[in-house]
Amino acid sequence: MHKLSASFLGRDCTGVVACVTSLMEKTHCDIVEVSQTILAGEFAAIFIINAPDSLSIDAAMREFSTGLSEAGIDLSVIVRPAAEGTWSASQQCEPFVVTAHGPDRPGLIAAMSRVFARHGINIENLKAILGEGGDNQALFVFEVKVPESMDLGRLRRELIAEGQRLDLLISVQHRDIFEAVHRIQPI
Amino acid sequence: MLTEREVISTLNMLRNEHLDVRTVTLGVSLFDCVSHDLDLFTANVQAKISKYAANLVRVCDEIGDKYGIPVVNKRISVSPIAVVGAPFGPDGMVRICKALDQAAKDANVNFLGGFSALVEKGFTTGDRALIEALPEALASTERICSSINVASSRSGINMDAVALMGRQILNVAEATKENGGLGCAKLVVFANIPQDVPFMAGAYLGIGEPDVVINVGVSGPGVVKKAIDRAIEGRGDDFTIMDVAEVIKRTAFKVTRVGEMIGKEVAKRLNIPFGVADLSLAPTPAVGDSVGEIFQSVGLSSIGAPGTTAVLAMLNDCVKKGGAFASSSVGGLSGAFIPVSEDSSIEAAATAGLLSLEKLEAMTSVCSVGLDMIAIPGDTPASTISGIIADEMAIGMINHKTTAVRLIPVPGMGVGEVVNFGGLLGKAAIIPVPRGDSTGFINFGGRIPAPIHSLKN
Repeated sequence: MHKLSASFLGRDCTGVVACVTSLMEKTHCDIVEVSQTILAGEFAAIFIINAPDSLSIDAAMREFSTGLSEAGIDLSVIVRPAAEGTWSASQQCEPFVVTAHGPDRPGLIAAMSRVFARHGINIENLKAILGEGGDNQALFVFEVKVPESMDLGRLRRELIAEGQRLDLLISVQHRDIFEAVHRIQPI
Repeated sequence: MLTEREVISTLNMLRNEHLDVRTVTLGVSLFDCVSHDLDLFTANVQAKISKYAANLVRVCDEIGDKYGIPVVNKRISVSPIAVVGAPFGPDGMVRICKALDQAAKDANVNFLGGFSALVEKGFTTGDRALIEALPEALASTERICSSINVASSRSGINMDAVALMGRQILNVAEATKENGGLGCAKLVVFANIPQDVPFMAGAYLGIGEPDVVINVGVSGPGVVKKAIDRAIEGRGDDFTIMDVAEVIKRTAFKVTRVGEMIGKEVAKRLNIPFGVADLSLAPTPAVGDSVGEIFQSVGLSSIGAPGTTAVLAMLNDCVKKGGAFASSSVGGLSGAFIPVSEDSSIEAAATAGLLSLEKLEAMTSVCSVGLDMIAIPGDTPASTISGIIADEMAIGMINHKTTAVRLIPVPGMGVGEVVNFGGLLGKAAIIPVPRGDSTGFINFGGRIPAPIHSLKN
């Protein structure tokens, strides 16, 4: 067996997941992990699969594309080898939530993300909530992993400075506070 | 992955609704500092407070930054000084108070509570010395708070102490008359005082408490008000007052979770046990941080209108229910405070004559504390103040609850005049006290016996 990552992207419709997973069943692929979302009617899914050695990456791409096409489902497919481990596993990290709120315009996410990149901070989830707080207002929510060795005060100052330049109100909070306030933890 | 609602709701609580941790209070027992030598005793006290409080402010600020929740006040509570300083006379008590004030300044905390005596059943010589020292002690220090427990459900009401405190409140006001009697804002008379309150001016570290402990006071009247407003705005036809109660309960849960989390982390970082989270709706004079405004949200024209006591009872109960579910360590006062000068909406109602001392007294039978931060005429007789205290203590004693009196007889001022205490203590117009003479009753002295604990009707 070898581990592959298979991504599917296209217009959402009923039967998409059934078709994709049936093709994996047919090719004797075992689904290890899956994440799926729909954004503005667009379907996107990433599957981590254990594929039989006899199924090469090119063969898997071919099988999935052909199968979807025969079922009349218009999805783009990418299959690539899946690397072991995650970025954050290599160092001790703390989860933080950074929000940026203000008038929307192009380049805001890029500017904020550059600060994270400069500090070696990984964005694990990113959400843009348009219209929050009024017309043409946007709230960007970055769920990030911050290395424990990071000087949090410096990061906060840089983010706030970038926010001021872009007319954005910035907050930096440990993620636990959001969970503590809203969730009852399973026993 | 967090949901949109989780993120937006938390941000709103912080940015628009004044959610904060109102106080992290470090309790320090002073029993191991005791000595017959005053210099040795005060040196021991300062050394012990310094040992545990040195990093309190820094750690609170760091953790507040980490979670984005400001820890507004850092404070210290100590063992009742009348007990640990029992060998000393009034002059010694004043010196101890000054030493505590210096320790508070050194630790950079804004208040230290525990210049206290527990006299519900009688006085020791230490108790008498401390109460006699109050005017000079509170006038010559900045950051020391005092509480005197004169009644309990198990012991009754010490009417000698009630009479004495009526006189001493006037003496403290006189000793601090340049500041409008400000000393009285740092002096509370209690029934059933809890041992673990983190809020001032009633904080002290009880005799049954650990050597050192971190207690946390969470507030959030603005959060509760906005949650009620949102629920009412989006209400359906079947929305009733029970839905409002549910909103308060759920909001109290959220607020308590914040406090508990921050308190536990501060305690862990300081290597000190965590004690309690006290969830009290403690207002500040800022608009949007008011308990009084909650009453308007549920359809009363103002706090003080008929229905006020019912709303306060529900509010207090729901806060306790939500808090109790959120934390297994809920303690202190946990309920709704109604301090007149510290709450812009309550102050406005009192100034406009919509909220009298009599109505406030009725409200204290269901709120978490009592007659709080009420400015009264400076020429109020001591026996009248004692009579008001006796009434308030009776409510606490019979109902097995904490009640308290923090009255400020403002020297040289009469009804309608406005006194400004500044900062969190706010401003207040002086309101009239009930008419009639209590002198004969107060002069009896002795003790009102403890109430029967059965036959409850």
